[in-house]
Amino acid sequence: MGLGRPGLAQYLATFVDMSKKVIVEYSRYPVAFVALFVQVFLIILLLMMSVFVFSAPGTEGADVRVFAGMMAYGFVTNIFLSFTLWEVGWSVREEQVRGTLESLYLSPTNQFSNLLSRVFAVLLWTAIMCAAGLGLVSGIVGGLPATNLLLGLGLLGLNISGFLGLGFLFAGVTIKLKETAQILVSFLQFFFFIFSAQFFPFAVLPKPVLDYVSRFLPVSYAVDLFRTTLLGIPPELLPNDLALEYAIVIGFGVLSPVLGYLGYKRIERKARLEGTLGEY
Amino acid sequence: MAAETVHRGFGAATPGWRANANVVWTVFLARLRIIMRYKGAVLLESFLPIVFASLPIFLGIAVAGSEQNAADNFFQNTNSAGQGTSEYRLYMLLGSSTFMVVSLMLWLIGYWVRREQETGTLESIYLAPAKRLHVLAGVTSYTLVRSLMAFVTAMVIGSLVFGVNPLTGNLAGALAYLIIGIPALWGISFIFGAIVMRIKEANSVIQLLQWVLAFLMGVYFPVTMFPPLVRFVAMAFPPTLMNDAMRSTLLGISSLYGPWYVVLGLMFLAAWTVPLLGYEFFGRMERRIKRDQGVGQF
Repeated sequence: MGLGRPGLAQYLATFVDMSKKVIVEYSRYPVAFVALFVQVFLIILLLMMSVFVFSAPGTEGADVRVFAGMMAYGFVTNIFLSFTLWEVGWSVREEQVRGTLESLYLSPTNQFSNLLSRVFAVLLWTAIMCAAGLGLVSGIVGGLPATNLLLGLGLLGLNISGFLGLGFLFAGVTIKLKETAQILVSFLQFFFFIFSAQFFPFAVLPKPVLDYVSRFLPVSYAVDLFRTTLLGIPPELLPNDLALEYAIVIGFGVLSPVLGYLGYKRIERKARLEGTLGEY
Repeated sequence: MAAETVHRGFGAATPGWRANANVVWTVFLARLRIIMRYKGAVLLESFLPIVFASLPIFLGIAVAGSEQNAADNFFQNTNSAGQGTSEYRLYMLLGSSTFMVVSLMLWLIGYWVRREQETGTLESIYLAPAKRLHVLAGVTSYTLVRSLMAFVTAMVIGSLVFGVNPLTGNLAGALAYLIIGIPALWGISFIFGAIVMRIKEANSVIQLLQWVLAFLMGVYFPVTMFPPLVRFVAMAFPPTLMNDAMRSTLLGISSLYGPWYVVLGLMFLAAWTVPLLGYEFFGRMERRIKRDQGVGQF
């Protein structure tokens, strides 16, 4: 009687309703929101202090600012990626444990809207946190470089879209791996930390790692282009072929959600056929 | 006879030491059996300290410009903070591995409470004729085994990855400090379990706490680099003491707390008082929750 007829309006209604449900859930745990906010500041402080412990006495302020910018903008991509993976993937796991996942799949809701709604609220909150976090770093180092702000925001939008694709795929992997997914998401967080050089320049990575791992990760290009655009310096990965770097980042932003969702559907279908969807 | 029955119950309510030990063993075994279904989780968590240590190492090299400069700068800065060493790789690896032990012990107890709440079995556990202390002892023993496994694996593989040799230092002494530090961690995990039971949303609190831990424990740098008030809080935190004791023993540097006998005394003090305080806190929080909405609500 309407619910069973899929269409844009229904997809949108599903997304809005399920996002509301997520927000209601969050509102029951206000500590969680505060914890997320404080967490961002702690990570930044921890990393800034790690920088200071390795810096030579009398380092120039401008050098510190560029380095802090590289770290802080990389951090923005890291936190969006982490929260996307955690929220999409982990919320599926929670539904498995609570025993509501199968019930949800029996309802005629659109799965894409369902997945997207899981992360919408937290992405909004993350954006606010990032702005505050960047303000903190800016305050500590005496102003962060921020050139090409609009272009930077556009690239961030593409990055988030690409991360969503990874999140969708991870939701599928969660159905398959169950408890191990919790550790896997932590591992992936740190994997991209290191191999996509989210907190330091790519130049620091050993050459074999850079050439045989980092250059094969679209996330690396997403991080590189976003932060070098804001810092107003040439990208590190493809300094002589800016067009190709843009193409990779755009391709990642457009194709990743589609491929990620297809991957999710495939794993989900297999789990349904095997009857293991709600099994945990 | 009737008075005796009222006083002692029908047997189930007055278990002897054998039954108590059986409760601890059964809970321990149950948790172990559950996690052995997810072998990947056990394997992956052993690698996390290595990744966690590599982050400041890369950051440091990036900031300093070269590995040698990183070692020199690290020595200068840690020396002025009272713990001069140029062995920054081993410093980070040991800090990260110890952090993983602390983090896992809290993480696992928090998730145990939360998971039992979510699956609706926490109230059943409360109705069982077993003391909470023995159930908690079973769970914490399991968390200990799991976190020590992660510690040993991370230290062995991390040493190979970073090209450091922990055997050149006093490894046995460092491990002894780790073992003496465990009871205090139990106490803190009781407190943490009680907090999770109260506020329920374990996920974000655990994530936050991980960073608070890393910050206060001085995983990446000596806590004497903090401003006085934060330094005081950090140094009063038992995991910081454990981390510092292990690090100073293994790297042959001076402890932030003073001579070895002071460190040892403080460790024993923490091992004695923190579990008692933790369990008392757990008991109080539990009674309060039971009076309010009950332990099963989530």
